[in-house]
Amino acid sequence: MNITATLFGQMITFVIFVWFIKAYLWEPLTSAMDERTNKIADGLASAELGEKRIDEANVEYSRIVDEAKSKASDVITMANQQSSNIIGEAKTISKKEADKIIALSNQQIGQDLNIAKDALRKDISRIAISCAEKIIKAEINEEKHKAIFDEALKELK
Amino acid sequence: MSQGEGPATDNPVAYISHHLQPLQYGDGFWQINVDTMFFSTLIMLGVMWAAYKVGKNVSVGAPTGAQNILETLIDFVNGLVKEAFPKPNKIVGPLGLTIFVWVFLMNAMDLIPVDLLPKAAEMMGIVGQDGKYALKVVPTTDPHTTFAMALTVFAICVYYNVKNKGLGGYFKSFLVHPFGIALAPINFVLTMVEEIAKPLSLALRLFGNMFTGELVFLLIAILPWYIIPIPGSMWAIFHILVITLQAFIFMVLTIMYISLASEESH
Repeated sequence: MNITATLFGQMITFVIFVWFIKAYLWEPLTSAMDERTNKIADGLASAELGEKRIDEANVEYSRIVDEAKSKASDVITMANQQSSNIIGEAKTISKKEADKIIALSNQQIGQDLNIAKDALRKDISRIAISCAEKIIKAEINEEKHKAIFDEALKELK
Repeated sequence: MSQGEGPATDNPVAYISHHLQPLQYGDGFWQINVDTMFFSTLIMLGVMWAAYKVGKNVSVGAPTGAQNILETLIDFVNGLVKEAFPKPNKIVGPLGLTIFVWVFLMNAMDLIPVDLLPKAAEMMGIVGQDGKYALKVVPTTDPHTTFAMALTVFAICVYYNVKNKGLGGYFKSFLVHPFGIALAPINFVLTMVEEIAKPLSLALRLFGNMFTGELVFLLIAILPWYIIPIPGSMWAIFHILVITLQAFIFMVLTIMYISLASEESH
């Protein structure tokens, strides 16, 4: 082989070729590949983050539901207690009232009874006296037997 | 082959020597191997066109078609480069890829039947200086091509040596390597041989492989026509391996040589 222009021609061709491939193929493609790698990495990272967020949200959700459940049962317990309290109170009040009414009517009855007894006593004594008067008018005098009647009246009381 | 016709077996020596003769114009230094220049440039333009199209419509999303193939190639070359280079190097990747693609395609010209293009050229009036057909379609069977690439790689090696070790450091490596400064003259000769052997072996390996491959095709071609298909197809199938392997070896050795040149002085 002689050193000829062909050698240098081929060298120049080679250098141009390498430059062209570097500028128009290698660099755009490698940068696109790097960008793609980054994109995929980012996508995977955000997917992982999303999964984590879902887990967190699930925990939060069950916490809220549990809280609501316990609050509701508290409310129900309180309401039950409240209603039984009210019922108990009402019972006591009505019993008191009833007792009062009963006591009052008992008192009334007692008074009426006394009045009736008094009236009756007076009537009986008057009747007895008038009967005795009539008897005594007929047989004995009033002064003589008054002591006996008084004793009988005392017994009536 | 006086008439350019008749079976090749009539005069095998003339047939083969004609096939090994390049289409040359000019004399002395300005002797230009037109066939080598034409086919290597044609392949280059084809690759450039494809590269430009892919590079322009590059997509960051899922790659398709040619971009897929080229990305696989780039990944492959980049893997080799990253293995060999401790620090990133901007030129070696594209250089390796270009070498692989170009050498592969130039070698692949070997698979075109040996008589097809020379005969076609002769019919179009493209003939050698003796008025008969002369056309070497495989640029890598011309040592000008292989040496051009090897010497360019060598020049890049020298550049990186000087850049990383300094001019003095590079010269010093000739004196102290491998036996230490006491044996400086022997070291100088040894390192000189070692350095020169790199581009020489690079160029001659590719040239030798492709030249002999072409020669075997020519030898098969002078057999009787009814025998040709069997050894011809077998050699062609085997040659696909040689083509790829030689392109790969040239690329890997280029990467290795430049990585050695990029080492800091030791």
